[in-house]
Formats: sequence, structure tokens, C-alpha cells
Amino acid sequence: MNKINSIEDEAGDKYKYGFVTDIASETAPKGLNEDIIRLISAKKGEPEWLLDFRLKAFEFWQTLSEPTWAKLKYDKIDYQDLSYYSAPKQKVAPKSLSEVDPELLATYEKLGIPLKEQEALAGVVAVDAVFDSVSVATTYRAKLAEKGIIFCSISEAVREHPDLVKKYLGSVVPYTDNFFAALNSAVFTDGSFVYIPKGVRCPMELSTYFRINAKNTGQFERTLIVADDESYVSYLEGCTAPQRDENQLHAAIVEIVVLKDAEVKYSTVQNWYPGDKDGKGGVYNFVTKRAACRGANAKISWTQVETGSAVTWKYPSCVLQGDNSVGEFYSVAITNNHQQADTGTKMIHIGKNTTSKIISKGISAGFSNQTYRGLVRVSPGADNARNYSQCDSLLIGATCGSHTVPYIENRNKSAKLEHEATTSKISDEQLFYCQSRGIGEEEAVSLIVNGFCKEVMQHLPMEFAIEAAKLINISLEGSVG
Amino acid sequence: MSSLLQKIPLIGKEIPWLNDVRQKGAEAFAKTGVPTAKTEAWKYTKPRELCGDDFVIKQSKKDSDWKADLPFEAYQIRFENGYFCPQESTLPQGVEVVPLIEAMLFHPEVWKHLCKMADINKYPFAALNQSYLNEGVYIRIEKNVELKKPLVIISHTTPGEENLFFNLHNLIVLEENAAATLVEYHTWSGEVKSRYFANLVNEIYLSAGAHLEHIKVQAEAFKANHVALSVVAANKDSEYKSFCLQRGANIGRNETLVKLQESGACAEVNAAYIMNGWATLDTTTDIEHLSAQTTSHQLVKGVIGGDAKGVFQGKIHIAPNAVKTEGNQLHKALLLSNTAEVDVKPELEIFADDVKCSHGAASGELDEDQLFYMRSRGIGLEEARQILIDAYLEDVIGKIKHEGIRNWVEKEAK
Repeated sequence: MNKINSIEDEAGDKYKYGFVTDIASETAPKGLNEDIIRLISAKKGEPEWLLDFRLKAFEFWQTLSEPTWAKLKYDKIDYQDLSYYSAPKQKVAPKSLSEVDPELLATYEKLGIPLKEQEALAGVVAVDAVFDSVSVATTYRAKLAEKGIIFCSISEAVREHPDLVKKYLGSVVPYTDNFFAALNSAVFTDGSFVYIPKGVRCPMELSTYFRINAKNTGQFERTLIVADDESYVSYLEGCTAPQRDENQLHAAIVEIVVLKDAEVKYSTVQNWYPGDKDGKGGVYNFVTKRAACRGANAKISWTQVETGSAVTWKYPSCVLQGDNSVGEFYSVAITNNHQQADTGTKMIHIGKNTTSKIISKGISAGFSNQTYRGLVRVSPGADNARNYSQCDSLLIGATCGSHTVPYIENRNKSAKLEHEATTSKISDEQLFYCQSRGIGEEEAVSLIVNGFCKEVMQHLPMEFAIEAAKLINISLEGSVG
Repeated sequence: MSSLLQKIPLIGKEIPWLNDVRQKGAEAFAKTGVPTAKTEAWKYTKPRELCGDDFVIKQSKKDSDWKADLPFEAYQIRFENGYFCPQESTLPQGVEVVPLIEAMLFHPEVWKHLCKMADINKYPFAALNQSYLNEGVYIRIEKNVELKKPLVIISHTTPGEENLFFNLHNLIVLEENAAATLVEYHTWSGEVKSRYFANLVNEIYLSAGAHLEHIKVQAEAFKANHVALSVVAANKDSEYKSFCLQRGANIGRNETLVKLQESGACAEVNAAYIMNGWATLDTTTDIEHLSAQTTSHQLVKGVIGGDAKGVFQGKIHIAPNAVKTEGNQLHKALLLSNTAEVDVKPELEIFADDVKCSHGAASGELDEDQLFYMRSRGIGLEEARQILIDAYLEDVIGKIKHEGIRNWVEKEAK
């Protein structure tokens, strides 16, 4: 048992990205009311319709109460004790990288974001770096603009492409959707906007790095992706956050509109600060992600690797409206120490011949609890709909929990739905096999876990796959006894 | 307030402690009320419809000349419109069958288990049942007694002019190493002039080494509501093996809660449902592995036609430290019409690592190729469909050990 302890002690300092950047932030006073919303809107110079949208959302939010159905336990969040706006102080908006605060750039460098070395990375990734709430640098804009692709912060999009934003904002996730979506709609400060025009295949992976920094600032990101007919885009989202003792709230919305024959691939690696080994601190992550396949043959694919956050509440969904549209969800969720995750997906089959696939792999260790919660719904008109779901859970240690709660609702007889779920621990035989060949216990576990997750990992883009594999190992260190 | 909670004089109302028990049930039900669609456990079965009509609680017995025609030898216990009817069968030594009201008053040992096994705050209809605690039967099988013939509890209803509401509460106790087969048969005869609502609770206590095979056939009238909860406590090395066929009622819900509370306990909970018309049939299970080395298996199959809705909610719970456990579950549904619906929620809740748990759920329609094969050989469409449906149900009905009962259930399922 001594060995376990020593490894666990070590695991305590494992959060590589736990540092605070010292930048003067301009922060709104604590609390949430109409004035704060007007302030946010005014600071961002928003048009009237968006302010209306925010106010309506706020009004609706006040009628709601926080959902309690998820298998999550956390201290009640005092929404009046948070600050809803924080922007790094800069006199003039930077025009190029050289104008960006060097300290900020240093932070990104520590995180390994190839903002400076992007040329070296052969232009594979265009990064829209988000520091707290305001986009500070957007790269590769010119190259994307050539193809007519719009990739900018949502505030910029509101200014420069109001018609597009007005048409699609809130069309997939209306502000009435849920408690956190209403909150986000009222106070969202920034996020990314992507528009891929008809017939364009985006030449590079679009990427955004979120980062929560200023103390006591909830982050309310809003991402809107629109893929017009016959277009393709792959979008990467990755997150890290500095180590803190106070819980940080994050309630983001990601909306994706996929039109006829278009395809969107959305990948996430989430490794926000999960709290220390006693469950102190960590990010609260309540995210509403949804994609609507509006046209025929549209395709959406969600891939996520969730290793961070103290509390995760996240159900990337696919609304398959167009005939023959395809929805996919690949997920690896790892919880250790006192982390809690309630995550899964929703596949809503509306169009004919729609297919969906769910592969979810959950690994719980330490004192963590994890729930897969998913919905597959086949509407009466969704002839020949097809769904295959597989949810596997791996338990490491006797004090963790793993739960599976799928909902399957079929209202069409020609639909074929299959759901399978298993839960087990790493078998002693597998461990013994590895160890008898001279592989250490930790390494053996990591080998087995990586094999367990392979089905999902192979759907990640190259840059992410490497980072994600490393993350899995870091997340599980100290969990083996 | 629902019309289900009415003040009616029950036997023993002058006894304070008995009144207390009933009062507790009434209070618990008043607190939760009829569950709504927002109640997670009733998400898919519309409980409001259950209680939409005015129901009347009859206070008088009505005998009927209806006779159960069972193709196997059995000891019979009869309820007519929710009232106990004494039967003339002689029971073998070591078996005690007592009407519940008599047991409550003169067999104080029943209070060790009675109304103790389920948390009425979680089960509104069990709370309602408790508020009417009166009718039912107490069955006790003595240590080491193995019952040769099955015990059959028949609940027969003759729908009358009024919407009848009745509650039955059975307590079945198997002492150490006792073994028995219990059959529940819910049926009706006459004309469907009204709706009726049967609200049932079984509490089953299996002592160490006891074995119980529990078969239920729910064949209520098509306008009836049938809500049943069976709570089973299984102790060391005991075995609970159940099968429930639901093929009647407008809204039928059969809920099974099994507590595997000592090592070596195992449960097999199987079910089938066949439905047409507008019915909603709900099979809900909750298997709690509370101790190490416990096992459970579930197989549920449904055939849904017409505008009917099938519901399956199955939960496997593994408590912390309940290691070396095994729990698996499979639900399959066959949809026969375009207006049929199936809603499934299989759930795993696991708090221990050294376990093997799985669940599976599938739904689809009859295989066109198989139908074509049979039709090309001169078998009519209807007959071919029936053959396929029978074959589909065969593996779950085939799990019934008692041959006579198995054959009977096969016929009932047609």
C-alpha cells in the first residue's frame, strides 16, 4: 500500500497547467442583473436586437431553477457572487501577434499553444485564442478569407456579419433550452464564429483554446458554426485553466448548423483544473452543445476527451433533421480523485434513413463518480433510422462509481436500435500478462486504458490525439494500487 | 387530491396501532400524490391517466361462479373483486396461508416484515396500498419444506357498473431452505362496462437457502389499470426466480425491487409483454446488489402492436463493497405497427470495482426475409407472423422451470 500512497502524493502536483498570469483585468462588479447585461452589451458595442435577446434570456432564466437530475453533488452556486465580465486591459486592439501582451503570449507558450510556432507547424492549425472572455489574437485569417471562410470571435461576427449571426444564433440552442443555456444567452461574452461557404472544404483544422484566468470570473463562451451546403470543416477545442482553490463556473454553448451535404467534425480535449486530490477547487463545467443537421446527407461528428473539471455536465447532441443525415459521438471521459462527470449525448432522429453511432468510454478512479446519460429518440417519420450505442466503463479502485443511464425512445417500427453497456475493472489477467513481460504496473494500466479508449482516440485529429493520449496517462497517475 | 384516497371504514379501525400504519401510508401518498410525467420513475407511463376516473372502493363481497381453469395441479388462493374468498383445498404440512387481516391481528410475527420492505416515500402507489391495508394473504413456508405443487393466487374481477378500485397486499415468507413455486394470475370475466384499478404489493422474504419461483400472468380487462410492486429481500444463498407476462390492462405496470442483501443470493427476473390497442405496459425492475458475491440476470421481451406503448426501466445497483458481483440485463422489443412505441431506460449504478455488469437493449421489427421465406412456402402472412413472434418469445418463456406452468404461459401469450 505504501507504493500507492507515494504515487498519489506525486499525483497531487500533476496539474501541469496550474499557473496564474498576472495581467490587469477589467472586471465588472459582482452580481447579475439587467444593468450588468446592459453593461456587457454596451462594452461590446452590440446592436439592439442582441441586447433584446440577452434580456429575454435573462428574464426567462430568472423563472428557472438549477437542474438537479444529474448525478452530481456540488456546493450551491451563488450566481450573484460571480463577476460576469472580465477583459484583459489593452488600450488598442492588437493588429498582429507582435502587439499582443508578451506575458499573455508566454502563458500560451507554457500551454504549448503553437501561436508563435504556428508557421513551423506548417499552417495546420489556425488558433483563435481566448483569454478569459475576449479574443486577443486571431491568426490565419487572411488565408481563410481567401476561401470565403469566416473564422472570428463572435463579437466581431456580430459587428461584421450581423445577418448570419442573427439568422443562426439561438436557432439550435434557444435561450429557453435549459437553465445554463439561458444563463449563457444572457451573459455570454465571447466565443468563436465559423462560417464555411457553399462547396468549400476548410483547408486546415480550426482551433480555439479557451482559458479561464481572472479570479472569480465565470466564463460564458458562445460558439456558432455554420457549414453551408457541401462544405466541410474540422474544429478543435481545447481547454486548460490555472490552478485555483475557488470553484470556477463555466457555462458554454456550442451551436452547429450543418446544411445539405455538409460535414462538421468537432473535437474537444478538456483538461481544466479538476481540483486537488481532496476535491478542493476545480472548474464547474456546464455545457450545452448541439448540432442540427438541417439538410439531406449532412454529417456531424463529436469527439471528446474529458479529463478535467471538478464537475462536468455536458451532452453534445445531434438533431438529425435532414434525410440520410449522420450523427456520431465518440467520448472518453476520465475522472480521478473527487471529480464528477455526468455526460453523454442525444441523438434525435427526425429525417428518413438517419443513422447515429455512440461510442462512450468512461474510466473512473479514486473517489470519482461518472455517469453516462444518453438519449436516442426516433420520431414517427424517421423511417429506417439506425442507431448503435456502446458504453463501456472501467473502474479503477473500490471507492469510485460508474453509472449508465441511457434513454431509448422508439416510435418507428422500421428503426433498428441497439444499445450495449458493460462495466468492469481492469482484469487481473491482463495486468499479470503485462507485468510478467516486464512492464511496470502503472505502465501496464496505461497500456490497457489506452487500448480501451482506442476506438475513440482514433477519431481525434493528429495534433489532438497525441495531447490526449498524454492527458489520459497524467489523469490516471496515482490511481493504481 | 385524488379520488383514490377515500375515507372508508376498514376492519380493525378501532385498533390504534393498525390505524397508525394505514395513516402513515395515507400521509406518504398525500405528500407525493399521483406521480406526474416529471417523476423520473414514471417518466414514460402516464400516471395521470391511471387516476383520471372516479373510482369506488366497494365494501361488500360479491361471489362469482367463475372457475379458474388451470392446466396444472395447484393449491389455490382466490380473490374476487379484491376480496379474499376461502377455498376448499387442503394445504400440506409446513405451509400456512392466512388472510392478511387475520395475520395482522393474530400473527404478530408478520410485523417483522409487513410494510417494512419498501420505502413508501419512494413508491406512491405502495403508500396508497398501505393506507388500505386490509386484504391480501400471508403465506409462510416452514424451514426445509419443499412445496411440491405450486401455490396460485388468483385475483379475479367482474367489472360492474362502477369503476372499482381495490388494493391487495401479500406477504410471503420462506424460512431457511424452504422452496416453493408461486403463481399470480390476474384475470377477469363478464362484460367490460367499467374500468377498474388493481393496486398490488407483494412483500417476499427469502431466508437463507430458500428458493422461490414466482410466475405472474397479468391478463386484466382491456380497460383496467394494474399497478403492482413486488419487493424481494434475498438472504444468504437464496434464489429468487421470476417471470411476468403482461398481456392485458389499459395501463399495466409491474415493478420488481430485489434486494440481494447477503452473499450468495441470486435473482433472475424475466418478463414478457404483448400488447395491442392503446395500452401502455410498463416493466420496471430495480436489482440492488447490497452484498458481495451476488448475481442477477434479467431478460425482458416485448411485442408491441397497434397504438400501444411498451416501457422498460431496468436498474442494476451495486453498493460500495459489493464486489465479485455479476449483473446483466437484456431488453428486446418488437414493433409490429407504425404507431407503436417503445421507451427504454436500462440503468447501471455501480459503486464497486470488482464487478461484471452489462445491459443491452434492442428494438426492431419482424424480419422481412424470414416472413418472405415462410410465405413462399405457403404459410399465410398472419400465421407466419405468429410463428415468428412465438419463436421470439420462446427463449424467455422457456426459462420457466415448472413444465405445466410453462405450457400454460405459452398458451396465455398467444
